[in-house]
Amino acid sequence: MGPARARGGAGAGGRRRIARRLPLALLLAAFAAAWAAGFYLLWQSDVPSDLDLPAVEASELLSAAELEEARDYERFLRIDFLLAELTVLLVFGLYARYGDRFTRESAAGRIGTGMLLAMLGFALLWLAQLPFGLAGLWWERRHEVSEQDYGTWILESWLGLGGAFLFVCLAILIVMGLAGPLRDHWWIPGGAVFVGLAVLFAFVLPYMLPSQEPLRDPGLLAATERFARDQGLEEAPPVRVQEVREFTTAPNAEAAGLGPSRRVILWDTLLDGRFADAEIRVVLAHELGHLSREHIWKLVGWYALFAFPGAFLIARATRRRGGMREAESVPLALFVLVGLSFLALPLQNAFSRHLEAEADWVALETTRDPEAAQALFRSFGTTALADPSPPTWSYVLMETHPALAERVAMAEAWEARAER
Amino acid sequence: MKPHPIRVVVADDLVRSRLTVLFRLLLAIPHLVWLLIWSIGALVAAFVSWFATLAAGRSPRPLHDFLAAYVRYATHVYAYLSLAANPFPGFVGEAGSYPVDVEIDPPERQSRWKTGFRLVLAVPALVLANSLVGGFGGGGGTRTGGTGEADAPAWFDFSGGGVLLVVALLAWLACLVLARMPHGFRDFQAYALRYGAQTWGYVLLLTDRYPTSDPALPAAQPPPKPPAVRIAVEDDRRRSRLSVFFRGLLILPHAVWFLLWSIAALFAAVVSWFVTLAAGRTFVGLHRFLAAYVRYWAHIAAYFFIVANPFPGFTGTAGTYPVDLQIDPPARQSRWVTLFRLFLAFPAWLVAGGLGSVLLVVGVFGWFTGLVTGRMPEGLRNLGAYAIRYNAQAHAYLYLLTDRYPYSGPWEWARPEPEEELEPEVAAA
Repeated sequence: MGPARARGGAGAGGRRRIARRLPLALLLAAFAAAWAAGFYLLWQSDVPSDLDLPAVEASELLSAAELEEARDYERFLRIDFLLAELTVLLVFGLYARYGDRFTRESAAGRIGTGMLLAMLGFALLWLAQLPFGLAGLWWERRHEVSEQDYGTWILESWLGLGGAFLFVCLAILIVMGLAGPLRDHWWIPGGAVFVGLAVLFAFVLPYMLPSQEPLRDPGLLAATERFARDQGLEEAPPVRVQEVREFTTAPNAEAAGLGPSRRVILWDTLLDGRFADAEIRVVLAHELGHLSREHIWKLVGWYALFAFPGAFLIARATRRRGGMREAESVPLALFVLVGLSFLALPLQNAFSRHLEAEADWVALETTRDPEAAQALFRSFGTTALADPSPPTWSYVLMETHPALAERVAMAEAWEARAER
Repeated sequence: MKPHPIRVVVADDLVRSRLTVLFRLLLAIPHLVWLLIWSIGALVAAFVSWFATLAAGRSPRPLHDFLAAYVRYATHVYAYLSLAANPFPGFVGEAGSYPVDVEIDPPERQSRWKTGFRLVLAVPALVLANSLVGGFGGGGGTRTGGTGEADAPAWFDFSGGGVLLVVALLAWLACLVLARMPHGFRDFQAYALRYGAQTWGYVLLLTDRYPTSDPALPAAQPPPKPPAVRIAVEDDRRRSRLSVFFRGLLILPHAVWFLLWSIAALFAAVVSWFVTLAAGRTFVGLHRFLAAYVRYWAHIAAYFFIVANPFPGFTGTAGTYPVDLQIDPPARQSRWVTLFRLFLAFPAWLVAGGLGSVLLVVGVFGWFTGLVTGRMPEGLRNLGAYAIRYNAQAHAYLYLLTDRYPYSGPWEWARPEPEEELEPEVAAA
């Protein structure tokens, strides 16, 4: 064969390769475009993009002693969190390497064995994280933030592990069930099924939270009606009070549910007299903001943005072990999942803070009471021992809410804007 | 391995006198009074023997003989009460004088450590004895008997429940009707009495050899007719500590699946009942479905109670698990037995319930032992397998897989050998 012909042959081969890969490249490009569009839509917010937050120093919010106590409290929990996260990675890393040995502990088929391996992975993780959990509880008890006893905590954690086992078995059933006929393409329907499950979970979550009673305070109920109307909700969602004071003194609230299951849940520690009615109204407006701005749906959408690529990466990573058809791949899949979750943590937290900032803004627009908002955020520094300005790494890795200093700054910015 | 120093010897012909059966509990009253008095003496003797064994490394012969006679006598009384034997026993616990007798070796050297901590060491055996025989764990004083007819002395107390009591009550009815003790019942009772005797022999310092819960040491005679549901054990007794520790949670997916399957099995059983009533036998498909369900139950029970190690599959397929059930294919069934199956199954379910509590004890001890040693003691494993087999037979009977009644004798490990009437069967349990 002459050189010219060889060149011609190589050129034809290259064109064939390109032609073969073109659909895949186009598909990936379309997927990337859809992902970017989804990201853009989810990132839309009511918070004005030109909002200029004033600099608020932590020392302006808390006294020196309070600040020292909050920082001391959070420092320990940060280190505890970091060590626990590193332990997770280490345990799953080792499990990915050696976990397939546990296949000999199973007489079940490939899916049953996969379930066992997944459960054992979580069991090892529970064991490895137990000391960090207990250390965290000890610290919270020492600072009178938690009042839960160790036995109850371990029991609840154990029962929680049982719930995790059931969930992980369902996940393995779906993944390995799909990987049987679809082989490496399981991630396409698999991602969709997991998003469906996320929707289902978001719907049923409010019914699974224990010890809920309807809110009975007429003033707060009237405020709820008014705020819901102002925020454009067709009807005010029910407000429930959850009994937690037996376990903790920390105040908290949440918005949960989809459609008919939507509700606002206030912890009873918020209603124990430490907070003024105006502050509680800010909390109510904030939680209603989550519902009126469809944050639960946005969280599901955010999950969907990561579910598909995550499932794809797991499918790719496990190919050398036979893919998710084989039970031996499960430990590696767990490691990849946990590694990706860890890597996605900063982005996840950033999105969460973004939504919380929007809910804060909506609350300010609804209550038009920045003083109450500032007082509320300041009191979180003393009641929940929250550090008003945490270190950057902790802010990025751990904080799902804006720092207290940022929240106070937003209230000040809103006030300044309203006065204009 | 050397035979256990305390052995039960059975030379019983299964024939029962209806009259003495009817009044058995009342007839036993003098024995119960005497046993109570003797128990006080045995308590004092055991206390002295403890010091002597601790000092000399072996129990003094007179004390040993006294306590051996006490254990033997108590076993005679229990055998009489539970209908494991027919004749009225003597009052002195004489060796070789009763159809359900106890052989006890002469005193041997005992470990001083085991002697020093005997009561603590005996706790697991006492708990298991209590679940098998009932009341063995009791202290002094008296309690009202479980039948409500008399007070019983507490050391060999008949009141605390246990499978022996359930079997005794059922045997009482059977003996009144048939004038004959069902073979399986008698063999179970002999096994339970053997374990009780060994436990109390251990507590009273007759030996430092731990009681063996193994129904295979030695095995009982096989049942007269081969059962339609049999257990096959191919377990190497090795246990994964990690999976043992989390066993209670690892079973959760199986629990959910079993619950769902149970709903379907219930409907299938109703259909099978009508089919069997009409045709005299059930459809092969229904039989296969229900057999898989019962086998699956046996697999997950074996896993949960540490009787087996590997995580079971979800399909109840035969031959896939080290503790497995062999279930005969569908056969003709009596329409009468089918018609009244629910009522007929009731006594079997009582026994199954009792053995279920034994299985729980096996699971708890197996959990601790498996966690510490990474192995399951053979005796506990075999006892667990026996309890699972009986429960599976009760399931199979209820779900119309067979019309053969569950067999309560622990015969699984019996070697096939010709049975001769009235030949002593060494520990027919």
